[in-house]
Amino acid sequence: MSTLHSKAAQRFLETNKNARWHDDTFWVLRAKRDVMAHELDEWERLRDVACAIKRHTVTHLDRYLEQFVGNAERNGIHVHWAKDAEEFNQTVLSMLRKQGVKKMVKSKSMLTEECGMNPYLESHGIDVVETDLGERILQLMHKRPCHIVVPAVHITQEEVGHLFEEKLGSEKGNYDPTYLTYQARLSLRDEFMTAGAGMTGANFGVAETGDVVVCTNEGNADMSTSMPKLQIVAMGLEKIVPDYKSLAVFQRLLCRAATGQPTTSFTSHFRKARPGAEMHIILVDNGRTDIIGEPEHWETLKCIRCGSCMNTCPVYRRSGGYSYTYFIPGPIGINLGMLKDKVRYADNVSACTLCCSCDNVCPVKVNLSEQIYCWRQGLDSIGKADLVKKSMSLGMKYLFNHPQMYDTALKFAPITNHLPHVLMYNKLNGWGYGHEMPVFKKQPFHEIARNILKDEDKKGNI
Amino acid sequence: MSTKEEILSRYRRNMKVKGQYDMPDLDALNGIEYADAVSQFIAMSRTVGGEVVTLEPGADVNEVIRKAYPEAKVFASNVPGIAIAQRNPDTVESAQELNGTDVGIVQGDVGVAENGCIWVPQTMKERAVCFISEYLVILLSRNNIVSNMHQAYCRIRMTDYGYGCFISGPSKTADIAQALVMGAQAARGVTVILTD
Repeated sequence: MSTLHSKAAQRFLETNKNARWHDDTFWVLRAKRDVMAHELDEWERLRDVACAIKRHTVTHLDRYLEQFVGNAERNGIHVHWAKDAEEFNQTVLSMLRKQGVKKMVKSKSMLTEECGMNPYLESHGIDVVETDLGERILQLMHKRPCHIVVPAVHITQEEVGHLFEEKLGSEKGNYDPTYLTYQARLSLRDEFMTAGAGMTGANFGVAETGDVVVCTNEGNADMSTSMPKLQIVAMGLEKIVPDYKSLAVFQRLLCRAATGQPTTSFTSHFRKARPGAEMHIILVDNGRTDIIGEPEHWETLKCIRCGSCMNTCPVYRRSGGYSYTYFIPGPIGINLGMLKDKVRYADNVSACTLCCSCDNVCPVKVNLSEQIYCWRQGLDSIGKADLVKKSMSLGMKYLFNHPQMYDTALKFAPITNHLPHVLMYNKLNGWGYGHEMPVFKKQPFHEIARNILKDEDKKGNI
Repeated sequence: MSTKEEILSRYRRNMKVKGQYDMPDLDALNGIEYADAVSQFIAMSRTVGGEVVTLEPGADVNEVIRKAYPEAKVFASNVPGIAIAQRNPDTVESAQELNGTDVGIVQGDVGVAENGCIWVPQTMKERAVCFISEYLVILLSRNNIVSNMHQAYCRIRMTDYGYGCFISGPSKTADIAQALVMGAQAARGVTVILTD
């Protein structure tokens, strides 16, 4: 009855004394998002338009990619294409080697996580320095992100304090977030000053102008690219938007949906290399051209990685990012994992109550829960259906198809209300595992309805 | 076949989405409008952690900056009229030389009332001045404040340097225990000076 996710979620709740804090913290982000949404009369209209722009763009992607690349090249940017993670990693490495770069600073990029770039480059002798504070903390701890926007939310300030004492030589016992942030600032400043290359991801690529747009609160994407002679942008194919008018829509939605701020502190537009430097963009496929061929799942390509589906998800909030087996957790991660490898990541589809809250907050209206439902329907065909659930479903099917047996079963069902706890809550009863069983009424609904109809019939009302 | 052709032909082969999805009419989309966009801009700039001061007629902008940052010693700018700047981002040998700047002073083009963003196009050789300085001063004409991002994106212009940034308040992070801290990697504070 248990998936890897549900087992991990149980461990999270049993062993993590911050589980409640985790839940509350993400609910605060959701509430802040709501305040932002309610301040704008046009919020729902913006979501509709954002969805329409993305649907249009991802179904005309070849055209927009050619336009984007044409403009970027005219602006003197070197554009490369990578069909998969391996080609991407090799392209980055050869670029760094050509310029003799030993150290690269970088801002947050889910694409480089997806491609496993850091371990690859490190194994080839390149020092890769994450410069987003949360990512830097995780890098020093050798941990992976638990959320795509607030990656280190699960690490306590005491843990950060101990880490910085050891790695950065900060004061013993000083766990003040302001002090610790300043220590990281000083240390990262040295890295920016001495790095040979700076890398960013891309929130958007504007076809009409060739701009790469990166949104950060820390300014680390700008710090990473304002000093080195080499700038590299890692960009998924689906990041293209047609023009500035479209960009305005997404700029307004992204941060409001993500953290409940009216904007990120920095919305940086990179159109050319800075004087005396080189700028390269690597466009990465890594499965995206397969996703467009999935009739029920192509709309995941609309995702702008704001993380709002995680913040609102009751399962994510109560199970944490590490309970999922794919590196992106939450509703969007469940779907992206299945698109990556549906046998390997099938355990995550149980991490959904089908409450549909994610669909209602998604700024680009990806039908996340609907897609999860579809994946569940297909579990049996890939040999991943849970045997207990499968036999229970077959039993229910038989019962529902035999009304007399159903009536009899319902008549005796209230007996279970009085059965000893141990008989109802054990591993044989999948429905009693992890949740409370319903209390059966003495008179089932259809019997009540039948009696009413009989009475009304007698009165001549029917 | 190059990787580019391989990827594009794979996309074309797999693109079987049924239905025609056209671009929506973005001109029909009206963003929020403020009766007093300047007041809203000032309020929002403070919400995002910035300061706003008004340059009174006849006042010296250099004095206003000194008053805002009385302890600052090293100023960097290439903006005409900023006499207090010892460093010039146009003439430094490398961007790294700007490290240790207490206050950088730059010119903003368009202010946005809904979120406190200011469009700062690169008008200097080393744009690092916008980020490496401990504190940032952005000069902005009150006549160039619009209500929302739709209007802003219709107005912004890139310079030949090919870089520009919407800056809204100081660099910030909440990555440690979700506590908001100003001054992650870039400027720790921002003062907007509104001019005529």
